[in-house]
Amino acid sequence: MKMKVLPAEKRPNRRAMIGIVCVLIFLILITLYIVGASMNELLFEPDFSQKLLPPTMKHPFGTDFLGRDMFARTIKGLSLSMFIGATASGAAAVIALIVGIVAALGKTWLDHFLNWVIDLTMGIPHTVLLILIAIATGRGITGLIIGISLTHWTGIARIIRGEVLQIRSRRYITASRKLGKSRLWVAVRHILPHMIPQFFIGLVLQFPHAIMHESGLTFLGYGMPPETPAIGIILSESMRYLSAGMWWLAFFPGAALAIVVLLIDKLGESLKLALDPASAQE
Amino acid sequence: MKKLISFALILTLSLALFAMLTGCTENATTENDPVETSDAAPTGEAAAPTDEDDDTGQPLPVKDELIIGFTSIPTHFDPLQSGSAGVLLFSSLIAADADMNIVPDLAESWEISNDGMVYTFNLRDDALFTDGTPVKASDVVFSYYTIMNGATSTDLSIVESVAAADDSTIVITLKQPRSVFLLTAAEVYIAPEHLYNDDFGLNPVGSGPFKLEQYNADEQFILTANEAYYAGAPAMKRVVFVKMDSEDVRLAAAQSGQVDITLTSAVTAAGVGEVPGYYLLVEESVDNMGIALPFTLNEGEINEYGAPVGNDVTGDIAVRKALSYGIDRQKICDDALSGFASPAYSENDGMPWSNPENKIDYDLDLAKKYLDDAGWIDEDGDGIRSKDGVRASFALLYFANDSVRQAVAHATAQQARDNLGIEIDVDAAATADFAATMYSTPIILAWGSSNPMTSYYLFHSSNAGKDDWYNPENYRNATVDSYLDQALNAKSLEESYEYWKKAQWDGITGTSLKGDAAYVFLINKKHLYWAREGLNTGRQKIHAHGDAWPLVANLKDWKWEQ
Repeated sequence: MKMKVLPAEKRPNRRAMIGIVCVLIFLILITLYIVGASMNELLFEPDFSQKLLPPTMKHPFGTDFLGRDMFARTIKGLSLSMFIGATASGAAAVIALIVGIVAALGKTWLDHFLNWVIDLTMGIPHTVLLILIAIATGRGITGLIIGISLTHWTGIARIIRGEVLQIRSRRYITASRKLGKSRLWVAVRHILPHMIPQFFIGLVLQFPHAIMHESGLTFLGYGMPPETPAIGIILSESMRYLSAGMWWLAFFPGAALAIVVLLIDKLGESLKLALDPASAQE
Repeated sequence: MKKLISFALILTLSLALFAMLTGCTENATTENDPVETSDAAPTGEAAAPTDEDDDTGQPLPVKDELIIGFTSIPTHFDPLQSGSAGVLLFSSLIAADADMNIVPDLAESWEISNDGMVYTFNLRDDALFTDGTPVKASDVVFSYYTIMNGATSTDLSIVESVAAADDSTIVITLKQPRSVFLLTAAEVYIAPEHLYNDDFGLNPVGSGPFKLEQYNADEQFILTANEAYYAGAPAMKRVVFVKMDSEDVRLAAAQSGQVDITLTSAVTAAGVGEVPGYYLLVEESVDNMGIALPFTLNEGEINEYGAPVGNDVTGDIAVRKALSYGIDRQKICDDALSGFASPAYSENDGMPWSNPENKIDYDLDLAKKYLDDAGWIDEDGDGIRSKDGVRASFALLYFANDSVRQAVAHATAQQARDNLGIEIDVDAAATADFAATMYSTPIILAWGSSNPMTSYYLFHSSNAGKDDWYNPENYRNATVDSYLDQALNAKSLEESYEYWKKAQWDGITGTSLKGDAAYVFLINKKHLYWAREGLNTGRQKIHAHGDAWPLVANLKDWKWEQ
């Protein structure tokens, strides 16, 4: 069969499609977040008359050993995860931006030093470093955010440093310097604007990472306290009941987490297609 | 990133799949299919030697072997250094039977001097260590002095001296009378002087009903019957203790018929219902759970550990009384433990030194009256009472990862809020975090032992506000102190019972819920085990706190029935 090539004006506009996907995903995520964050805690109160029920219309995700509604807990947990993920990956991206630009523009020894720090951070196994930092900074939400942001900036920092190095060798930068503009002025006016797409793409692509690590750490018991309706807590609690056949305690929250992570990843990939100069015109 | 995502997805899906599969095996096993469970793999090796006896469903000759799925494997067996398994491998001078009567063990008789300070034990002459040498008085003296000189198994600080009058007579002199000394002596196991060295913990030689055949650290240990045991060789000739430290593994082992007895939990027992070929062994315990309520008001005091002391809500006796009478304990048993618990009214329900008056009736009206009379009124209509601007609200902490305590805490909180107008915020904390909070914040604690000394530690003012968990609530009562002192210094155990009981409730005051109610006891956990049909576990003592070793304390009396 022959491929039929549509004339350009009849082909769906790829950027428009991507835009729609991005907006849709963003709306879904933001709705999920708002519903979860504003949720009344009474919705997942213990109710022993309803304990360990399989999924029903009333409790679509079933209930746990205290009779808490798992649907409400899952939504609440997702919003909590999204908050931590957003804050941590935002902080990580800011660190990366600063480090990347300083490394590329500063003195050579500074560049060497920052590269060494990046290598060091990447060299230590992620989870181990995360656990150490999270414990040292007092566990809980703060510990998690600090831990995740301090371990997740390295990848973006490398990309940004590479980009800066490339742009720095351009003629207009040299010209600008020769005309007497300060390093700072050049960095802010000529280099920073080029970094914005990398910054946002890195941020969004780091987001699911952060969420997974948050859940993972909490699952292992180094994250949030057990009374918090976090996905990690929910999953680690559910382990105790799997062998008694209560599959819904793990399945729905786990699947919900995976879906959210996939959505955010899709958002990041779409943003990359739309914003990254290398792929934006495809 | 892609990798991470697919990993997450696969993880979730396989988790769910696994969950659904186990959900199905539950039905499959009811049709008596042998179930393959991958979880059982780690235990396969250990179970292998007895495989031929272990195929389910076949008529067997009378079995004399046993496989126990055990929660933990001890690191050593030295009974003088608080090694576990003392009761199985060793003998003590005397023992406490299922009714907490003191009965002979190595000593066939004993006398106590009139002043209660000198105990004379007469050793039996037919007790042998498993190397064939007789148990002599010198071994007893050696064991006591090893403990007194710094070994850690038992607190023998009350003992002044231990001497062997001859080869079969031991004289123990105390510094002052100590009513519970016989119960203490029942926990001092006798090691052979001529074999005791640094490796004794892994090469134990005792005079108990069993001897150690094999020990694999962190995996299993195997005991064989001591045929020369003076009270008759046990019916079980070979007992394998396999480490199974997770509930899943234990359940899978039972479902696949790999163990003869193993621990289970209320949640699993209620969720799974039944395991074919097994019965649910339910043992009563004094493993009680209750709330330690800070006994004093918060007056800004900071204690020697730098932590605040006191609580303005629970420091009011009306609140403690309301919680004592206004909580339906049976409902907590049903809610939090699926009925596998019984209401608790003291730290020692069912023990001979427990005051029968401790039991109170659930009485919501009385509880409310206490609160109303004390001025705790719901002024702003939010359902929570307050008094002089203090809301009847406090945090209740439990140890993170203990889901039973969590459930008990929530069940209590719910009743307190709905029925009493007292707000309880349940929260978890890591063990290390309690140091700063436990003197001012109520905690769910669990106690229960077969020695009334526990009551002394829990309630005597000399032990108040220490960091040993016994009395973080800072309970002090001079009358109770004097009863506890009299009980401890009584000349005999029987004589002390009256004072232990009076310390709990003397008609006016006491530690019980009728009295000061510093501890609001809620439930006694029942200890649950899957036991293979035909296994007779004998008559057990009321279990103390902890569900592993109390179960096997009478292993010598276990047998298979036809």
